[in-house]
Amino acid sequence: MDLSFTPEEQAFREQIRAWVAQNLPKEISDKVRHSIRLTREEMQRWAKILGKNGWLGWGWPKEFGGPGWNAIQKHLFEEETALAGAPRIVPFGPVMVAPVIMAFGTPEQQKRFLPGIASGEVWWSQGYSEPGSGSDLASLKMRAERRGDRYIANGQKTWTTLGQYGEWIFCLVRTSNEGKPQTGISFLLIDMKSPGVTVRPIITMDGEHEVNEVWFDNVEVPADQLIGEENKGWTYAKYLLAHERTNIADVNRAKRELERLKRVARAEGVWDDTRFRDEIARLEVDIVALEMMVLRVLSAEKSGKQSLDVAGLLKIRGSEIQQRYTELMMLAAGPAAVPLIREAMDAGWQGDRAGGAFVAPLAATYFNMRKTTIYGGSNEVQRNIVAQTVLGS
Amino acid sequence: MDFDFSDDQEMLRDSVRKWVEKSYAFEQRRAIVKAGGFSREAWRGLADLGLLGLQVPEAQGGLGFGAVDAMVVMEELGRGLVLEPYAGVALVATQLLRASHAPSAALWLEGIARGTQIVALAQEERHSRYRLHHVETQARQSGGNWQLSGTKTVVPAGGEAAAFIVSARTGGTVDDPAGVALFLVSKGEPGVEVRPYPTQDGATAADLVLDQASGIELLPAGPALAALEYAVDTGIAALCAEAVGAMDRLVALTVEYMNTRKQFGVPIATFQALRHRMADVKMQLELARSMSYFATLKLGEAPAARRRALSQAKVQLGQSMRFVGQQCIQLHGGIGVTDEYAASHYFKRLTVIEMTFGDTMFHLGEVSAHMQDTAGVFA
Repeated sequence: MDLSFTPEEQAFREQIRAWVAQNLPKEISDKVRHSIRLTREEMQRWAKILGKNGWLGWGWPKEFGGPGWNAIQKHLFEEETALAGAPRIVPFGPVMVAPVIMAFGTPEQQKRFLPGIASGEVWWSQGYSEPGSGSDLASLKMRAERRGDRYIANGQKTWTTLGQYGEWIFCLVRTSNEGKPQTGISFLLIDMKSPGVTVRPIITMDGEHEVNEVWFDNVEVPADQLIGEENKGWTYAKYLLAHERTNIADVNRAKRELERLKRVARAEGVWDDTRFRDEIARLEVDIVALEMMVLRVLSAEKSGKQSLDVAGLLKIRGSEIQQRYTELMMLAAGPAAVPLIREAMDAGWQGDRAGGAFVAPLAATYFNMRKTTIYGGSNEVQRNIVAQTVLGS
Repeated sequence: MDFDFSDDQEMLRDSVRKWVEKSYAFEQRRAIVKAGGFSREAWRGLADLGLLGLQVPEAQGGLGFGAVDAMVVMEELGRGLVLEPYAGVALVATQLLRASHAPSAALWLEGIARGTQIVALAQEERHSRYRLHHVETQARQSGGNWQLSGTKTVVPAGGEAAAFIVSARTGGTVDDPAGVALFLVSKGEPGVEVRPYPTQDGATAADLVLDQASGIELLPAGPALAALEYAVDTGIAALCAEAVGAMDRLVALTVEYMNTRKQFGVPIATFQALRHRMADVKMQLELARSMSYFATLKLGEAPAARRRALSQAKVQLGQSMRFVGQQCIQLHGGIGVTDEYAASHYFKRLTVIEMTFGDTMFHLGEVSAHMQDTAGVFA
């Protein structure tokens, strides 16, 4: 047992740190550090900077042009970028669809789609949830009917994050009503510029346009955009879920935000209030414990000696912690968090009302983060999964 | 970064587990509780396995093993709810004797390793509330000898101990970190009175009343408090590991019960409200296990970082122990509150562990008072 990183791992960390310090644009990290809205251009600029260095697909194996890092190296990369204030990489391309294309796509599909994902040129969206299919995803209804060499897609997806920017979307579609709901689902890649695709905004309670509805009205999809076999899409989707491991805990960002919470608490004069500071202390313990749990998973992956089935726990705990730090930051600002100042969400606003630019986005961030215990399999669904593992049935 | 146990550690775990299964089945334990909460025979068994000398240097007949080995042993003793004060004697007191240059310290270490002598730490006082530097007991020098007066409370297995390591004040006022020294006081000396009593978890402890009792100085004021803090931190790490073992077993008992117990014609494990509770219990158990590792692996850090880490661990363990303990009783229903069934005994031990070497609120206060700008496993 050993808590320290090896000298090679340390050197790797230093290398990443130095590279990020040189390549992460300051105007982008400043925005991230203050929860200011990023434009599409800024998100993609960072993705392309990484892509140029071969790191946008940081989890990819070498054979597909990735760096071929092990679990610890991936973690160190995620940690160094998060601590430096890099934006979260929009995961739909490099983290979600790419591993599925690698595992189940044809060589032609791999050649066609992976380079655009690796470079950050092509923006991907995810088409999973539907109005009637949230936690019970397998009940999804969007249909795709095979007609010769193409599919005709009809239906609606929803909660499509940043779908307003999307160029391609990977969808779970129903290709059969036979048997169990899971067995009639296929995995389809759809060009969002195809006739019949409509994206409509959903405005969330923080006033932001982050998620969308995507409608499909007789959209023609060439059959060579089907991944793997027809009606096997559920298996591929599950593979994808298994692929997001420790990353979902987002503990590195939590460490960065804890630092920020302490700064806000000092600036707002609640740091010396024992009652308030004890809450920060409690959160600090929660974050250290989460980080230890993440490190245990990484160690288990590296050594292969023990299996550690705690992905559900990481999701539950990580999301609760994300909510907690945004909540405490808002509470630290107190009444100064109350004014609704829309322009404060954009960079450059200096602020002359109430608490000013520093505190203006805090409430919006708090509201926004309610999503974390709902998306990616709600925490209640995660508890079902954990209970099944513990109770054996 | 490696959280696997070595083959030797797995063998150590295995031998402790086998001993617990053979010598510490629930009915055997019940008999020990009835007989006063301490078994000479069990203590001999631990000595025969070499466990009492686990951290005693080889020169004194011990094994000279490290912190992770102690963690392995404690997890298994926790699983079996072993009552004897293994951590207090074989880890905490041993640590202090190792830190001492007093000539007799080596002899006591030999006695501990052989299992013939129990040395107990007598540090707590009625008003100290976990603060190691809050010491009312006085030490006065007269004619080259130290004489101690004061009352120490909740000394683990105090009634069984041959000697006590006593914190006493050679100078300063009651809360002064300066002026706290450590002494060795032998039972049977004039002015040494031991008042044993059972504890809530079925074990035994004692108050130690000293009235001009003679003591040997183990460590002078200054080094003594630093050594005491370190020794107590090793004790905290040991208790964290014990708690993980105890919780692990309690959760297993609860899972078994939920899959067997039927109500409304089905096993209660089918009810979602109970399943989600079990998921939350599992969460607390795994967070506790993670922080138990953290506690043990941070023992080698510089004092400030070490103490911060150990307090963080004890906060997590305290929360986990209370939640897992309370909820596993709840999930058992009526049988959970009986003396007859094992669950309540696990709950009581977990409760006492929380109140040993600083409870959750105490350590939260420590974390809160010493927070740095950055935090994390490596901070």
